[in-house]
Amino acid sequence: MDLFFWEIARASGLAAYAALCISVLSGLAPRTQALSFLANNRAVRALHDWTPWIVIPAALVHVVALLLDATARIGILDVFVPFLTSYGQLAIGLGTISLDLLIIVLVTTWMRRRFSNNAWQWWHRVSYLGFVTMFLHAMLSGTDLTSPVISVLSWASGIGIAYYALERLGKALNPSRIRA
Amino acid sequence: MKANSPTLPPIPARTGPGRPKKRSGPVPAWGLKLGGLLTTFGVFVSSFGYANAHLYVTNAPLQPAMVAAVATTGTTAATTSTATAAPSTATTTTTTLTSAVRTTTQPAVTVTKKS
Repeated sequence: MDLFFWEIARASGLAAYAALCISVLSGLAPRTQALSFLANNRAVRALHDWTPWIVIPAALVHVVALLLDATARIGILDVFVPFLTSYGQLAIGLGTISLDLLIIVLVTTWMRRRFSNNAWQWWHRVSYLGFVTMFLHAMLSGTDLTSPVISVLSWASGIGIAYYALERLGKALNPSRIRA
Repeated sequence: MKANSPTLPPIPARTGPGRPKKRSGPVPAWGLKLGGLLTTFGVFVSSFGYANAHLYVTNAPLQPAMVAAVATTGTTAATTSTATAAPSTATTTTTTLTSAVRTTTQPAVTVTKKS
C-alpha cells in the first residue's frame, strides 16, 4: 500500500508539471500568439483563468501522497519550509519553494481586486520563478525523468515556455515593436 | 500645391504595412479546457502506469532509504544469481562471489585480443 502512494506521488508530480505548463503557456499566449493556431485570445484567456482547477488538484495529490507514503519521508513542515529534509535538501527544497510561490500566485490572483493592476502584475510575475523552481525540482528529484521519453517531453515543454517567456519579455522591454 | 507624382491606389488593409492580422484557430474555450483536463489526466494515468512498471529506479537522482534498500537487495540478489561481477551503479556495496558461483564448462563467447 505504501508503494501505491509512492506511485501516486510520482504520477501526480508529472501531472502537476503538465498542468503548470498549460497554465503558464496559456498565460503567455495572448501576447505571444503561442496558441493562435488553436484558438483566439478570448478562449485562451478563459483557459488560463480556469487552469487552477487542474493545477491545484494535481499539486495537492502530489503533496498528500508524499505525506502518506513512507518512501519519501516528507513531513508536514517540509511541505512549506524548504531545505529541512534529511536527504536531497536542494532538490526537494526547490519543490517546496515552487509550492509556496504557487500559493502566493493563487492567493494574490483571488485577491486581485484589492491590488492595483500594476501591483497585481508584479505579484503574478512570481509565477515565472515558480515555474523555474518547479522545473529544477523535477529535473533534480524526478524519479521518472530517467525515462528518455518523459525527459524529452519535460525538456521540450520547458524550453518552449522559456522561448515564449523570452519573447514576451522582449515585447515588454520594446513596446514600440508592438505598436508599429 | 498638387504633387506631380501619380496618385497610387489605396493599399488594401490586409496587405498593407504593419502587423498583419493573424487568423486564430477555431477551438472554443470549453474545447481548450477539456483538452487541458484530458492532457493532465492522461499524463497522470500514463505516468502511474510507468511508475507501476518501474517501481525501483536505481539511477534516479534521489534515492529515499526504502527504495535504495530494496534496490540494493534486488541488485545484489540478481548479481549473485547471474554471477555477474559488475558493481551496481546505484549503491556503493561491493559484490562478493560466493561458493554458489561456479565456472562454466561452456565455451567462451568472447575473444580477448592478444597484442
